[in-house]
Amino acid sequence: MRMKSSPKLRPNIWDGLLAAVMLALAVAGGVLLWTGGGETGDLIAVVSVDGAETERVSLAGLTAPEERTYTHNGYTLHVTFTAESAQVTASDCPTQDCVHTGAITRGGQSIVCLPARLVIQLEGGAADDGSPDLVIG
Amino acid sequence: MRRFGALLAALLLAGTLAACGGQEAREMQTTQIFAMDTVMALRAAGGETEAALQAAEEEIYRLDEELSRTREDSAVSRLNSAPAGTAADVGTELYDLIARALDFSAATDGAFDITLAPVSSAWGFTEDAYRVPAQTELDALLAHVGAEHVHLEGEGSVSLDAGTRIDLGAIAKGYASDRMAEIFQSHGVTHGIVDLGGNTWVCGGNLEGEPWQIGIQDPARESGALAGILQATDAFAVTSGGYQRYFEEDGVTYHHIIDPATGRPAESGLTSVTVVADGTVGNGTMCDALSTALFVMGEERALDLWRSGVYDFDLVLVTADGRLLVTDGIADRFQPDETAGYAYEVVS
Repeated sequence: MRMKSSPKLRPNIWDGLLAAVMLALAVAGGVLLWTGGGETGDLIAVVSVDGAETERVSLAGLTAPEERTYTHNGYTLHVTFTAESAQVTASDCPTQDCVHTGAITRGGQSIVCLPARLVIQLEGGAADDGSPDLVIG
Repeated sequence: MRRFGALLAALLLAGTLAACGGQEAREMQTTQIFAMDTVMALRAAGGETEAALQAAEEEIYRLDEELSRTREDSAVSRLNSAPAGTAADVGTELYDLIARALDFSAATDGAFDITLAPVSSAWGFTEDAYRVPAQTELDALLAHVGAEHVHLEGEGSVSLDAGTRIDLGAIAKGYASDRMAEIFQSHGVTHGIVDLGGNTWVCGGNLEGEPWQIGIQDPARESGALAGILQATDAFAVTSGGYQRYFEEDGVTYHHIIDPATGRPAESGLTSVTVVADGTVGNGTMCDALSTALFVMGEERALDLWRSGVYDFDLVLVTADGRLLVTDGIADRFQPDETAGYAYEVVS
């Protein structure tokens, strides 16, 4: 009776390749966990109305300034997006706080129009630009 | 075939790690709320996060209804519309908050005042209909302003003198931040940021175990430009400044922080006041009240109150003559922004 041959125990090139792949996956997973998986990258303007997100504008994709108009709660805001910034250039709201805010350029910054109940917040941008977790005042 | 299976298992394991660890363990859940005449952002992780955010949102709306001066059915409106000199039952919560407000008025020599409502309305800051009232109009209104016109009658009842109206706008968000802290703590939230339109409470630091970085707006520059950054893991912080709400008429800028002594926008030599205290529930109300009062009082009187030890807090002051003052209790956790150009001083 012929005995079944035992498998080869010496590692070959495929074993090494598999180990390398698994190591690469582990490192990539670690990097993903450490960086938060996508918190950085292109600058995106997130438009929210009444606390609900309604639009995301990728600023990096803009080659020229782009003006958009938002109307809510009886007020109309004219917003200019560029590759680096978002700004309410005109509004018929009574407080004008949104216009006074000026241009925002970094992730975490926001423009709030209380009368229109509209918020424009920037997400993404440089990986570590020293931005705080929140700004008060 | 076995190698292919191992590779597939490794891919599945990596994907699972990225999905669970990357989402659940690292991400903060957020809620945005329009209430109390501002926009609020709540961020939380750990514990019963969803339940905490839900309870917090409901509490914000409840407080908005109870403490608003512009809602006809609020407890504050019921008090304001009660006949002069008649004790109105406002309930224990509002009674206690008014009592605290009166204490802050006494401690700040009247710089904090919840009876300024008619004066603020005359300027249009309550109704978003800005105007510059005549001094005679302001003088007539100021006759009804002052803590002495508010009477605690006991057992949840309060009375007001004729012509006096209260507005808790300078303390309500601070009180709300205290309630948010209580709710987050009772739900076991381990990492959180409560930002109620400039009234902030933070807990636990970020998910990497580092303190939260609280940027303090530079009052002289565009939104997002900082005077400095404060590190905190468990603290309340509130900023008041004339740049936050204002209007211009005939080339003059009028801001919303009214000096009870004059009825006009405060001109104290300060452009921004940030009050910081540890995260003990109750300090949110204190920080809110003091940030307004100290802006009115100016640098010297603000630092006198800080040194007196009557209340336990620290300060970041920005002056109109270009100085950035930080009290020594937080100086080791504060980093001034050099691009702001202020002369930086640590006060002891």
